[in-house]
Amino acid sequence: MSLTHWLRVWSYFPVLLQGLCVNLSLLGGLLGVGFLLGVILAILEVYGPRPLRILAFGYSWVFRSIPEILLLLLMWFGPARFGLEISPFLAAVIALGLRSSAYQAEIFRGALQSIPVGQMLAARALGLSRPGAVIYVLLPQALRLSLAGWGNEFAVVLKDTTLAYAIGVVEVMRQARYIGSREFPLILPAYLVVALLFLAATYAGLFAIGYAEKKLRIPGLEARR
Amino acid sequence: MALRRILVGLVVFGVVSLSGVAAEKFIVASDVAWPPFEWVSAKGEKIGFDLDVMRMIAVLEGYEIEIQDIAFDSIIPAVIAGKVDIGASGFTITAERAQVVDFSSPYWTSDQTVVVRADSGLNVVTALLPGRKVGAQRGTTGAFWVEDNLIAQGVAVELVLYETYPEAVMDLLAGRLDAVIQDQAPSEQAVQQYAGQLTIVGIIKTYEEFGFLVAKGDPKGILPRIERGLKVLKETGAWDNLIAAYFGPSLEAVEAAWEACIDVLRVGKDPVAYAACLAQKVRELSK
Amino acid sequence: MLLRVEELHKRYGKEEVLKGVSFSLDKGETKVIIGPSGTGKSTLLRCINRLTEPDRGRIWLEDVEITGPRVNINRIRAQIGFVFQDFNLFTHLTALDNVRLGLIKVKGLSKKEATERAMAELARVGLADKARAYPAELSGGQQQRVSIARALAMDPKLILFDEPTSALDPELIGEVLAVMEELAQSGMTMLVVTHEMGFARSMADEIIFMEKGVIVEQGPPEQLFRTPKHPRTAEFLRRISDLYGGDQ
Repeated sequence: MSLTHWLRVWSYFPVLLQGLCVNLSLLGGLLGVGFLLGVILAILEVYGPRPLRILAFGYSWVFRSIPEILLLLLMWFGPARFGLEISPFLAAVIALGLRSSAYQAEIFRGALQSIPVGQMLAARALGLSRPGAVIYVLLPQALRLSLAGWGNEFAVVLKDTTLAYAIGVVEVMRQARYIGSREFPLILPAYLVVALLFLAATYAGLFAIGYAEKKLRIPGLEARR
Repeated sequence: MALRRILVGLVVFGVVSLSGVAAEKFIVASDVAWPPFEWVSAKGEKIGFDLDVMRMIAVLEGYEIEIQDIAFDSIIPAVIAGKVDIGASGFTITAERAQVVDFSSPYWTSDQTVVVRADSGLNVVTALLPGRKVGAQRGTTGAFWVEDNLIAQGVAVELVLYETYPEAVMDLLAGRLDAVIQDQAPSEQAVQQYAGQLTIVGIIKTYEEFGFLVAKGDPKGILPRIERGLKVLKETGAWDNLIAAYFGPSLEAVEAAWEACIDVLRVGKDPVAYAACLAQKVRELSK
Repeated sequence: MLLRVEELHKRYGKEEVLKGVSFSLDKGETKVIIGPSGTGKSTLLRCINRLTEPDRGRIWLEDVEITGPRVNINRIRAQIGFVFQDFNLFTHLTALDNVRLGLIKVKGLSKKEATERAMAELARVGLADKARAYPAELSGGQQQRVSIARALAMDPKLILFDEPTSALDPELIGEVLAVMEELAQSGMTMLVVTHEMGFARSMADEIIFMEKGVIVEQGPPEQLFRTPKHPRTAEFLRRISDLYGGDQ
């Protein structure tokens, strides 16, 4: 790996950055899907009626068991069977989002269950309905308690976004391979640049989550270990 | 900004793919990391022999195409599932594949080559002795050849599979492989890029034929149009020009020529003139 | 009659915690329930606003049957304040927000109205200056006073106190009892489970002595403390006074 290789790879930096932007928009989409479904699942798992609870656990089990790459392919090929055309990007967001929702649900469930029962009792005693108690009292606490675990999930799924190329999403790994396939000697430097980009993105994300954790910190509300 | 542009692009893409009835349009799937058949240029254009053939036939037959980059392994499943219409990615016609998809008539004949490090002193026999580490791209004929003709015959080489060909080449250069089996054209490309470091020690005459593929039964009636297009290209000499342009010269020269000539095809809608332009430009640039 | 409880039964597994409890409470009355631990006093309170579902028996709040089949229990609970032994302030909310939450989300007050109301209640329990503090930043006594303010803000017909001073350090009990006394004197209807005999004696209109899931005896404090009719009442009072050193 000579200096000239590094300089040449540098000329591809904008392309790689563009690729990373695709990963980041995938990340945004999948975390959003995962968060929404994850919260709903966690609530069902903790407070739902028994049949729904079993269903939620089943969902969690399914999406944590199937390899990501398989989920991606199924989500991309599957809906076409029913005449539903979805783009590779959307398929990736849904597939990875569903998977993430199962993991996020576990994070939120743990947080919900760590909240003392007195909080629910006090909320109900005020006249809040069960959903009201969950929304106004339990979730705000659980979500704060979840931030650390959520940061971990963020770092994991950020890396998972590179799998989306299998179904034709041109993300940063794919861009690196384009470079490598036209200029073989550049493949290692290109991969290294991608690695650095991921280091930077993960650092930035975890920094932001850490900042949020500090900002949202409330005395007396800490993860109990 | 870039993010915004991509998001907008994705939305537009989503809408277009949902309402793809307006103009007749086929989606061509290709693993765009296999020069000179298909690769992404320094300017981010998807170019290559397969892709230009697809573009030229589309102009001749009056339909539009959209090229989608998909991992090689996923292309046939995508064709079967109806996610894409045509596979154009240097597919060798095999009986196995022909059971699940339909092929066009062959447009290219290729052999496999054995590439080793120039300083290794290996020849085609010693490079493939039992215990040697042999690299190939997953799902390719090269990989199948090693399995069928070496391993299954009791020659216990260690086959190492890669997602892309360049990765195999990198491992070969790093000394982790003894040889890489790959189609002739890409192998020549690699040797050209690593002049003095890599060498082709043998050609395995497999006489593989490449074909374009569509879903079984060709429900959209694409194959006859491809056949008709191929015939026209060959009769007009465009085919020979395209081969001259793509096989041999450096990728930089091809990219520059492509940039200079593509409007003849895109705007001028003249495949024959385009191929002539491409061959001409490449010749000039290679001098 | 504000509250009427009739033949209330509750069983946890094999153990019958309430074995047919009946009593009533008039508007403005303060009744104190005393008795040994584990005799169903807390269960009784929780059955009244159905935080715990009674197995049998009926409860009326004025002319509404709380135990009726089609009753909107959330609406009922909004009219019954509940003060917990462990305060159970919402951990993530400031004192002000703890008091405001029910006003906004249950009573539908605007934020401005709710703030005024909440501040007034906090001032009433002497904690206006702590409005912005989180529960963890308050002493136990202050937390319990906030929780009383939270109950009061809902403008309840009745407040249930479940051993409100039992979790407090001795030096913090006084401030909570002072607030409760002020409340009782202002005419609030209160049902209090407590071991604070001083409070019971001075503030209760009537004392209810419960043991093993039944009401053993009830009557005005003077009569019950001085001349208990039932030997078990006398026995309990003697033990309590040994434990807490007389009537303070």
